[in-house]
Formats: sequence, C-alpha cells, structure tokens
Amino acid sequence: MIRIDNVTKSYIAGIDALSGLSLEIDRGEFVFLVGASGSGKTTFLKLLLREETPDAGSIWVAGRDIGRLAPARIPYLRRNLGCVFQDFRLLPNKTVAENVAFALEVIGQSRAVIQTQVTQVLDLVGLGQKMDRRPHELSGGEQQRVAIARAFVNRPLVLLADEPTGNLDPATSSGIMKLLERINKTGTTVLMATHDVGIVDEMRRRVIQLEHGHLVRDQARGIYGDASETQSRSVSSITVGTVPLDEDAELDLMPHRPVRARRGHR
Amino acid sequence: MAVSFDYVVKETAANLWRNRVMALAAVLTVAVSLSLVGTALLLRQVVNRQIGQWSNNVSLQIFMNANATPQQLSEVKVLISQEPQITKCTYLNHQASYLQAKQVLSGEQTAFQALTPAITPTLFRCQLQNANDAPAVASIFAGAPGVYGGQAQYPQKSIRTMQRITNILQVVLLVIAIVLLISSLVLILNAIRMAIFARRREVSVMKLVGATNWFIRIPFILEGLVQGLIGAIVAAGVVLLSNIGVNYLVRHYLSSSTIPVSQLIVTEVVVVLIGVVVGVLGSIIAVRRFLDV
Ligand SMILES: Nc1ncnc2c1ncn2[C@@H]1O[C@H](COP(=O)(O)OP(=O)(O)OP(=O)(O)O)[C@@H](O)[C@H]1O
Ligand SMILES: [Mg+2]
Repeated sequence: MIRIDNVTKSYIAGIDALSGLSLEIDRGEFVFLVGASGSGKTTFLKLLLREETPDAGSIWVAGRDIGRLAPARIPYLRRNLGCVFQDFRLLPNKTVAENVAFALEVIGQSRAVIQTQVTQVLDLVGLGQKMDRRPHELSGGEQQRVAIARAFVNRPLVLLADEPTGNLDPATSSGIMKLLERINKTGTTVLMATHDVGIVDEMRRRVIQLEHGHLVRDQARGIYGDASETQSRSVSSITVGTVPLDEDAELDLMPHRPVRARRGHR
Repeated sequence: MAVSFDYVVKETAANLWRNRVMALAAVLTVAVSLSLVGTALLLRQVVNRQIGQWSNNVSLQIFMNANATPQQLSEVKVLISQEPQITKCTYLNHQASYLQAKQVLSGEQTAFQALTPAITPTLFRCQLQNANDAPAVASIFAGAPGVYGGQAQYPQKSIRTMQRITNILQVVLLVIAIVLLISSLVLILNAIRMAIFARRREVSVMKLVGATNWFIRIPFILEGLVQGLIGAIVAAGVVLLSNIGVNYLVRHYLSSSTIPVSQLIVTEVVVVLIGVVVGVLGSIIAVRRFLDV
C-alpha cells in the first residue's frame, strides 16, 4: 500500500528531517509511528500527502509514484488518504453534519450521496444523535470523532493520524483508538504518529520508530519504548526492490471517482 | 470538474455577506469610475456629432461689404464658380443675412439693436468637398474687391480649437477614469484577499480532503465578478440618467440630433463589460497571490 524508497527530506540545507528512509506498509496494516519531538514523523505524513516533496528517493502509494504526480492530480491523491490531527481542525461555524458533509461537498458529490454517507459515518463514530451540534458544544473526544468521520466519510484507502489523542485524556483516547481499530478492520490502512506510550504498549501493533530522521526500529508487535527482546524486524532486512508490491488496491486519480452508494449525478 | 452550482452560489453569497463593508467599498468605486467612463463616452459622442454637423453645414463664408457694388458681387461669383472645391453656394441678401444675424445675436440685444438690414453684410455660404481644404480655398478670396475684411471666413479654425479643447478634456476624463478603475481593481483585490483570509480554515480543509484548485478558487473569482458587475449595473443606471441630461442639453443648446438609442446601448454594454473585466481581473490577481493552492 505504501512504499518508501530511500527517502531524504531536508527543510534547511544540511539538516535532514528525514534521511535515507525505506519502509513498506501493507494494505490493512495498523502502524504506529513513534519517536522524539522533531524526529520527522509529521514530515513523513506530509510527504505521503504530497504537502512536501522528497529531496531524494521515491514514495509509492497504492502502486503510484506520488513524487512524480502532476500538481493537478494531487487533490485526487488526497481523496484516497484520510487525515486526522491533534487539533481536530473542524470548522467552528458548521454543525457536525455540515463539517462531515463539507468533505464530500467540495469534491463534487451529489446531495443524495452526501446525505447517506454522512448519516452512515456519524453512526459509525457514535455521533448520530449530535449531528446538529457545533464543535464548541462537543467534548474534545467527540470533536476528534467528528474529525475521524470527516476523514473516513469518503472511504479512503489509508487513514493518516498525527497525534490524534494528543489533546485527550486516557479514557477518551482509548475510545478513539477503538474507533480507529474498527476503521482498520474495514480494510483501511491506518498510520498513526503518536507519543502516547500507554496506547502503543497496549495495542501491540507494528511500531516504526524514527530518530533524527532515521529509521531506528521497525517491530511487528512492538511497544513504545525500545524493547530489543521482542520479535523485531531487523531494519537491514527490509529489501528495497524496484517493483512496487500490493497493486490490488489501485490508487484512483480520476476526476470522477465512482463512490460506493453513488446514485445519480450532476 | 463537478463544481455544483448550488455550492458555488451559496459560498459566493455567504462570502459577500461576511465581507460586506469591503465589498460595498469596492462596488461603489467601480460604480463611480464606470459612471465617469460612461458619461465621458456619451459626451464624446455629442461633441463628435455636433462638430460633424458644423463642418458639414458650412465650410466657408464669404461676407461682402454692406456697400459692395453689383460689379464686385459678380466678380466674387465668378471666383466661386471657378473653384472646383466648392460644391454648393447660397447667397444671403441683406434681409436674409439680417435675419440670420438676428438669430445668432439673439442673446445680445444691444449688439443687435445697432444693426439694420441695410448695414448687414451680405454673404455667400459655401460648402466644400472637403472641409479641411477651407484655408486653401479661402486664400483665393483674399484681397478680392468688396470682400468684408479682405478675406473669407471658415469655421474650421474655431472647430479645430474646439476639437483640441474637447480632446484635452477627454484625455483628462480618461485619466481620471483610469485612475479610478485601478483603484477599484485594487479595492476588489483587497476585498478578495480579506475573503481568502476569512476562509483560510475552510481552504485548508478543502485542500486536505482533495478539493481541486479550481473548486477552491471559483467562489472567490465569482465574488470579484459579482462586485464588478453590481458596480457596473449601478454605473449603467447613472449613465442612463446622464443620457437624459445630455439629451436635454443637446435639444436646447445644440443643433445636432440627440444620441441614438443604439449608441446608448453600446455605451452601456461597454460599461458593464469593463466592470466584469475589472472584477474578474482583481479577484484572479488576489487568488493567484494570496490563495495558496
Ligand atoms: N516547515 C519547516 N521548515 C523548516 N524546518 C521544519 C519544517 N517542518 C519541520 N521542520 C524540521 O524538521 C524536523 C522534523 O520535524 P517534524 O515536524 O517532522 O517532527 P515530528 O516528529 O512531527 O515532531 P513532533 O513529535 O514534535 O510533532 C524538525 O527538526 C523540524 O524543526
Ligand atoms: Mg509532528
């Protein structure tokens, strides 16, 4: 699903935010991205979104080299990648339903599609009863659920989450994690950057650790801290081939994406 | 690109309302500058029509001394008939000339009171093939016996002066209009910049969820277009009023006919088009400079 080949990125000449990073994430995986502040986690996510371009190396998402994507195609790439942040990024003057609908509206979905998809996804995140509230009338956890609903409403192939529990207490955080797990179970690949030790240790998913832009650990069922005794995928064992794997889920970069449950069009 | 009509209309209207003070300032400047442009265009048409009429009616006037002898008159007639440039000539005798003077001097009673038919110079009123040749043709009559003041008169000279003055006036009006149009462009640009700033959260979410660049831009460009258009429509109304005023002046003080409706329509269309262009241009510049997509 995602393949990073020897990617280097520096914002300031001489200082690499990411350097020589290579890794592969399969379809349907749940991956934690950990590392100290400034280790390059957000940079990694931005590269996947094509908010930044790598200085060297290539990035493949669902069989596409997104470093070579024409700028006009970038919006279509992003329709395949859902995105959640620590600060929720909801629109304060729109209701919960409107916030989620906005994501479909601005990619030109029909009203009928928007209506069914929004109701469905809000039920999934457990906010079916609070559709008409505004963000300031919700708790942080609820706001993050809305943000997840907005990221997921278009059924992306990958969900990227940058410290989604950073502003939440442990109980609320574990609720959010349950939701992300559920989304992961639908086949969506989830990549989550986090500092939350408790969550990573409890969930025992694949952990990728960065340090000063270098990959220092890639562990199948890892914990937050370094635990060399666990079954670690040796970093050096990652083969860097040239043929991108996992072609089954094609990245759709066409303007008119046939969305499930699409009826009628304008 | 599936830009839904509902969405665009809704967003544009919401933006205009949120940003109404700036939008109003932009609209008013567009209205003022385009009113000026439109009125200047109307005045230009009036002046051109009037000048055209003057130069067609009379190209050359040869005044004869009031006491010119029949001998002198016929000599001048011979000169006239020998000049191929002169296409038509009418002779105004004392009485006819007196009546014309009466008309011309109607505003100045004292000057007119001193005049009697007997002392009014008679005159030949001639048309030329080309009014611009008036100076050359006039020179033929220089010093001819009995010609009043020793030379023929041609209004071309005064028409030229008038044309020069109106040209200068037009340039001044045009410069003012251009300065105002540039200000309206800047105001629209600024209004759109504010709109972009006010909607930066929406824009960032739109980029995140994969809205295309044009989808993000179109409501802002449309907002500029609407501002330009509303300003232009107000200006079109003002130009309509100006037209009434100009026609009143033409009817009462000038001899040319009033501006035909077709010309008025052309003027209005020009005004509206300029408004639309200014609006779209201002917003496109704002979008290119300030909307980071
Ligand atoms: N826009 C930028 N311009 C210059 N330097 C940047 C920029 N963004 C990030 N950096 C630098 O790149 C490095 C990696 O930053 P990044 O945001 O990826 O870290 P992070 O792992 O997400 O940190 P945190 O856990 O605090 O969010 C840091 O040294 C940071 O200062
Ligand atoms: Mg970060």
